[in-house]
Amino acid sequence: MEKENDLARRTLSLKRTFDAPVGLVWEAWTQPEHIAQWWGPKGMKTEIITHEFRVGGKWKYEMAMPDGSKFTCDGTYSEIIKEKKIVSSANFRPMTEGVEIRAVFEEKGDKTEFVFSVVHATEEYCQQQEKMGFYNGWGSTFDRLGEYFKLIAR
Amino acid sequence: METRRDVFQAIADPTRREIIDLLARQPMNLNSIAGNFDVTRPAISNHIRILRECGIVEVQQIGRERYCKIESAGLKEAAEWIGKYNALWRQNVNAFEKYLYKLKSKRAHYGKGK
Repeated sequence: MEKENDLARRTLSLKRTFDAPVGLVWEAWTQPEHIAQWWGPKGMKTEIITHEFRVGGKWKYEMAMPDGSKFTCDGTYSEIIKEKKIVSSANFRPMTEGVEIRAVFEEKGDKTEFVFSVVHATEEYCQQQEKMGFYNGWGSTFDRLGEYFKLIAR
Repeated sequence: METRRDVFQAIADPTRREIIDLLARQPMNLNSIAGNFDVTRPAISNHIRILRECGIVEVQQIGRERYCKIESAGLKEAAEWIGKYNALWRQNVNAFEKYLYKLKSKRAHYGKGK
């Protein structure tokens, strides 16, 4: 019904212009020793478990929460174009699975235009889930919670 | 040992998410909740206990029945989670930018020495 609306709601897009050449931006974004320095919420230490930086390669990061429990994210690269684009699947357990993340880099002289987007569930994944009679585990819960809030707010 | 009891834990489990879904529609007693799942009643009871400790579900004794209903304040926090998830990405990109500039100035510094 509200397909477009739905997709827009599932997509998060962050656009930045970095005051750094694309070579450096690419390096900081893709090399594991750098990733460990910036990835993850504040106060959590990120450990790079797997880093196969090639199409079809897997990545896995682990973040330790202050209480010692581990928070894992992993995925598989589906597209890598050097200093231009990275597309990967991503799972953030236990929060969500089947997210697609894209990072697009564009050289602007000494600066770099950067667009990062997250699609909360690929269309394929949604269709597959619908066929199976489920919804995206999170999406549906929050959709219904949203409805519920409209009800109780009256 | 201190156990984490918050929204994060409440919704980390698929059965608990389904229980929340069910109760968001109407309050139910334990038996009717359990009737929706293939797991044992004690297992459901344990999930309800966790949801209660996380502040998402309230349990009311009415006669001999214990009715479970959604505790709206706790649920509101859960609904905001997806927003928090987006905030996490924003924070990630911000942290990246900060690190990038640190790296850039470090390189420039070393560059001078060459």
